Amino acid sequence: MSKTIERVLLDEEFISETDDSVIICRCEEITKGEIRKAVYDGMRNMNEVKRYLRVGMGLCQGQTCTKLVKSIIAKELGINPGEIEVPIPRSPTRPVSMQTYANDGINK
Amino acid sequence: MYLENDLDLKCKEEKMRIYKHPILGTFQKGKLVKFQFDDKILEGYEDEPIAVALKANGIMTHRYTIKRKEPRGIFCAIGRCTDCVMIVDGKPNVRTCVTLLKEGMKIQTQYGVTKKE
Amino acid sequence: MKRYELIVIGAGPAGLSAAIEAASNGMDVIVFDENSKPGGQLLKQIHKFFGSKAHKAKERGFKIGEELLKEARELGVEVVLNAVVIGIFQNKEVNVMLDGQIKHIKANNIIIATGASENVVPFPGWTMPGVIGAGAAQTMMNIHGLKPGNKILMVGSGNVGLVVAYQLIQAGCMVKAIIDAAPRIGGYGVHATKVARMGVPFYLSHTIKVAYGSEAVEGATIVQVDRNWKAIEGSEKKLDVDTICIAVGLSPMSQLASMAGCDMENNPQKGGTVPICNQYNETSISGIYAAGDVSAIEEASSAMIEGRISGTAVSYNQKYIGKSEFVNRFKEYSESLSQLRQGMFSHENKGRIDLTKTEEGYDISQNLLQNGYLSEKEVIKYPGVVSEKVRKRGIVPIIECTQNIPCDPCQTACSMGCIKIGNTITNLPVVDENSNCIGCGMCVASCSGQAIFLVDENYAPGFAAISMPYELYPLPQKGDKGVALDRAGKVLGEAQVIEVKTIKAMDGTNVLTIKVPLEWSMKARFFKY
Repeated sequence: MSKTIERVLLDEEFISETDDSVIICRCEEITKGEIRKAVYDGMRNMNEVKRYLRVGMGLCQGQTCTKLVKSIIAKELGINPGEIEVPIPRSPTRPVSMQTYANDGINK
Repeated sequence: MYLENDLDLKCKEEKMRIYKHPILGTFQKGKLVKFQFDDKILEGYEDEPIAVALKANGIMTHRYTIKRKEPRGIFCAIGRCTDCVMIVDGKPNVRTCVTLLKEGMKIQTQYGVTKKE
Repeated sequence: MKRYELIVIGAGPAGLSAAIEAASNGMDVIVFDENSKPGGQLLKQIHKFFGSKAHKAKERGFKIGEELLKEARELGVEVVLNAVVIGIFQNKEVNVMLDGQIKHIKANNIIIATGASENVVPFPGWTMPGVIGAGAAQTMMNIHGLKPGNKILMVGSGNVGLVVAYQLIQAGCMVKAIIDAAPRIGGYGVHATKVARMGVPFYLSHTIKVAYGSEAVEGATIVQVDRNWKAIEGSEKKLDVDTICIAVGLSPMSQLASMAGCDMENNPQKGGTVPICNQYNETSISGIYAAGDVSAIEEASSAMIEGRISGTAVSYNQKYIGKSEFVNRFKEYSESLSQLRQGMFSHENKGRIDLTKTEEGYDISQNLLQNGYLSEKEVIKYPGVVSEKVRKRGIVPIIECTQNIPCDPCQTACSMGCIKIGNTITNLPVVDENSNCIGCGMCVASCSGQAIFLVDENYAPGFAAISMPYELYPLPQKGDKGVALDRAGKVLGEAQVIEVKTIKAMDGTNVLTIKVPLEWSMKARFFKY
């Protein structure tokens, strides 16, 4: 975490948009409206939205939706997508079966 | 083996395969093999991606999603988006666009993460 | 733990070029690629590349891929396929997953050449079968010999969208439309003219409203957008399509660089989050380099040179070459790279809406940018199009190349010296007014943009002969009757094939000559049965 996050919750009601029902995270079937609501609920960066909704935690591990989610969060917060903190990618970069990890180090 | 053999006449009926390409000519394929898709027996070429063999047979839907039960098929075709996954020889979540077809393979439409109950 | 002098991650154009460069200096190089076939995106590219001879211009992408692989193998480079690098850790420790096992290895130098992934644009119905990435269409057609569909809607008018649309037609598909939310075509004008003359309509300032169908795509509705990207009510158009291809840009796959701890930056010009590199393509971590699309989205020709630059830098660091050799090589490569980074589509100029003139001062065709073709009034103004007086003398090349793009194969294609570009390869080609064209057609076949035609206004009384590049099946035969189409793909009327040239030197581009009424000499640019 590099900076303090301002978490002021708005008094206004959540405003729906016409394209809220479009799926953004294909793997976990999460819509644009759910992501926008997450920001409304107080989530402020990729890490938080990810843990709140599971966007980017499905089979493809965010390969398809990350850029989209970033731009939706940015739009809701009224900032540049480049300013959104993105979680640092961790190993493994592709799905690895538990068996592969379990075997690691056994035959050294 | 090039697609001009008598054995391939059956596959020629499929309209999605390209028989002669203006730049690439004919496509080198393995031998024609039979495989199982749900309750049907289909034909495809050995060592081509399962997804290609299915599409050549006119099959578009590979699975239904767990939450909204919506149909999914090929999207990226290079093993990154994981939309094309199916149950292959009993194992679910197999990416059919990068997994190669073998004779006698059992391919099933995936419902959520399992076969149809 | 095994230690390598150099590990290259990715066997695409950048990775293979880096490996070749290092291996040619005597280094032991290992390349890991997660795919079952090497070559990256090159294997799917069936069009002729741009640039100059040094940049492998005029060669088809897949052939360049085959050559790179052959050269790498001959130099003893070990290319390991189905090998996924799942992590880079401190002290350049690398984890590679291969055959269900994880190998832990160490490297003195790592060149990350993992390329890019496709962007997506969501819309209602986009998750249905039938909606695919443009790269998916290429993979199916050009690697597996399968048509992705029959009636295609292409979303995106950048180079990928335009080139894949053309390849779809070559594969036997029908491209119903190319749409782009932007008001201008994003890719090279010549890539657009190729498909416009075949009758593919462009809808700029349009986006997809919805894709519909019960199990798979059965159609789509597109809608016009205003300057604020808001849909204009009442402008909806329904398209009968079974496949929707998404070609809306690429993003660098830089996760490994980020994981390794390299300083990263969010750079929209470069396509997204990229490692910050110096001129040798070295990241903030000494010994870790990034080459190709992973460092910035560009063409394959640039990726190959970046690979060479990082390969030569590593060779110098490991003391396989001396300082003066390194300095000379780097100078040669960076000059070659800067040649490619000139012109209308360079990083600085890309997306600029204020460009109205070419570097020479000719008007940039707005019709081309908005509709995909040059108007008849516009085309005669360019230096590649000779005057009416010269045309009346007999056969002459007509070069409809109107944007500054680094490309010069036409210059060397003509053995009679009719075509001049000069040393600045972004110059528009000029056809000599004293041209003594012999009608061999080599220029027609050599133009990667398929923008050169031969026009003979003296063919016969009242008739002209037009020679054009032709790369479709079935190939017409001499005597065949059909119709001539203009630049917009509109049918002009009856035309007859008088010659079809197919020679090895033309590398798959046939030169088709048709006979048309003289009035169409500067209109007819395509032939259909």
